[in-house]
Amino acid sequence: MTSTVDERLGGPVRKPPRKPKPAPTARGFSPLRALGMAVVWLFTALNVLVLYWLVMAAFKSPIEIFTKPFALPSYWIERGQAFRNLAYAWNNAGFGRAFVITVVLVAVSSVAIVLLAAPAAYALTRLGVRGANGLTNFVAIGMGIPFQTVVIPLFIGMAELDLTNNLFGLFLIYVALSLPFTVFLLTGFFRSLPDELEEAAAIDGASPARTFFTIMLPLARGGLITALILNAIGLWNETLLSIVFLNENANFTLARALFAFNSAASYQSEYGGLVAGVAIVVLPMLVLYVLLARRIITGLTLGAGK
Amino acid sequence: MATVTAPAEGRTSSAGAHLSRKKRLFFPFFLPAVTLYVLFLLVPTVATVVLGFTSWSGAGDTPRFTGLDNYGELIASDAFRYSFLNTVLYIVAGGVGTFLLAFLFTMVLREMRGGKVVRAVLFFPNIVAPVALGMFFGIILVYRPNRQGLANYLLESVGIDAVKFLAPENITWVVTGCLIWASSGFYITILMAAVDRIPPYLYEDSDIAGATPWQKFRHVTLPLTWDVVGVAGVLWTISAIKIFELVFVLAGPGTYSPPIRSWTLGVYVFDRSFGDQGAPQYGMACAAAVVMILLVSVLVVLLRRLMRRDTIQY
Repeated sequence: MTSTVDERLGGPVRKPPRKPKPAPTARGFSPLRALGMAVVWLFTALNVLVLYWLVMAAFKSPIEIFTKPFALPSYWIERGQAFRNLAYAWNNAGFGRAFVITVVLVAVSSVAIVLLAAPAAYALTRLGVRGANGLTNFVAIGMGIPFQTVVIPLFIGMAELDLTNNLFGLFLIYVALSLPFTVFLLTGFFRSLPDELEEAAAIDGASPARTFFTIMLPLARGGLITALILNAIGLWNETLLSIVFLNENANFTLARALFAFNSAASYQSEYGGLVAGVAIVVLPMLVLYVLLARRIITGLTLGAGK
Repeated sequence: MATVTAPAEGRTSSAGAHLSRKKRLFFPFFLPAVTLYVLFLLVPTVATVVLGFTSWSGAGDTPRFTGLDNYGELIASDAFRYSFLNTVLYIVAGGVGTFLLAFLFTMVLREMRGGKVVRAVLFFPNIVAPVALGMFFGIILVYRPNRQGLANYLLESVGIDAVKFLAPENITWVVTGCLIWASSGFYITILMAAVDRIPPYLYEDSDIAGATPWQKFRHVTLPLTWDVVGVAGVLWTISAIKIFELVFVLAGPGTYSPPIRSWTLGVYVFDRSFGDQGAPQYGMACAAAVVMILLVSVLVVLLRRLMRRDTIQY
């Protein structure tokens, strides 16, 4: 009995000299705690249920989606077209093309963002320049600017340059608007690196640029990969800018295609295809999340910690 | 060999040279990123502020300076009033709900088996596109007798009447609920990371003293995570002010704007500039965007004021 109490409170590290008797209320029934437990498990179960529903519905007919929400799919499977919804979204609603565009755009943009942000973050933290803290804050303010406030002038400017409805134009915007967050994230990583290696490199005669490329960048690899993943997630899900800047099916990204497909699918009661479209957007994120959950969670919550 | 005979001198001068070479690296490293930042974020923000004082319907028209007319028109318009109030409601009610839930979870998760799994499950909606979330909720919450969405299916199966979740009079609260559901995982994770840093002996001591979970929360957890709560509040504010896709997709037919009762400032800006109805009103949209910046700045400053106190060392 007592051993479980010890375990729960942090193990044998801090063992009191005499085992104290548990205080009366600490082990007794607490309604608040019971309520909390119930809410936590209910909430978690709901999330799992919702995910199950999504995956199953992607293989169901509209009638099944609404009348048998928890049953396993049967209609299309019995007709030998198990992947009918996914095929419909992929071919008829343009998700196939959008998928390829999104993968390429997201990959190229994320790499470009990190390539630009890493030197900037290094310059702000490691070069001993006066005023660097102020400049870091200056960049960090960008994280608080809602995209809605910049989208109209951006659209006008890009239209002047003939870069609207153009994937290269969207690439430029994605890169520029992702920089504040990425620079801020990476300053944290560079700041945490030890001074000694940098000094050792300098004593060995390495130039500052060489120190950066051959010593510091490899050391910050964890941070760079985190930045890459977080940007990829953010851009994969980005919708507002793609709605404003892309208006031709041939250029649509996944989120944009889903947005366009929504009303068409509802009118035709093509709920199977619609759920499949949602699944095509969500499931790659789920796979990434299952593989990299810890890195994603710590990366995204890093700024708030300290 | 020269360095060996005069080590001190040699080292200082080479160290000084190294430092200045390091500083020379600053601009090539910093400028590319900051140039893009200024060109694509700061200049457009300033342009938005300027355009907010003009009347302009986009290509083929020239902006006319109209002073504060746009702002007067905004205040007089129903669409803007709904947008503003809804945005504030989402920030405040959604924020209070999210943080209450997150606090409740921190009380329980700290001493619960499988807490890590629960956290990971709850975090997932944060990396799902809001459009996808909106459509997904749209299908789940749809009200159609005999072919109900999942939510009404569940209600009817336990004998409760189905609810028109997506009707204009209910949509604000439904969106608030969806918002809390989708974002609580993020704040639970932030707060739990802070709670995990609290030394366990503080909880042991309060257990011995017979503290209830509420007392432990009130006198240990809350004071020691206060700073993180402040930062999380700021993060909540700057993300909640942008709410757009979720409302747009959930409340409306999809491609066209939803009924104005459900609008947020983000929807207002979009509708007046890139929405499909009539000539765009860039001036009005920019004025509303300026209101967004002002609102977020005021709320963040207010929050920082409210949360300020001396740091506690532990």
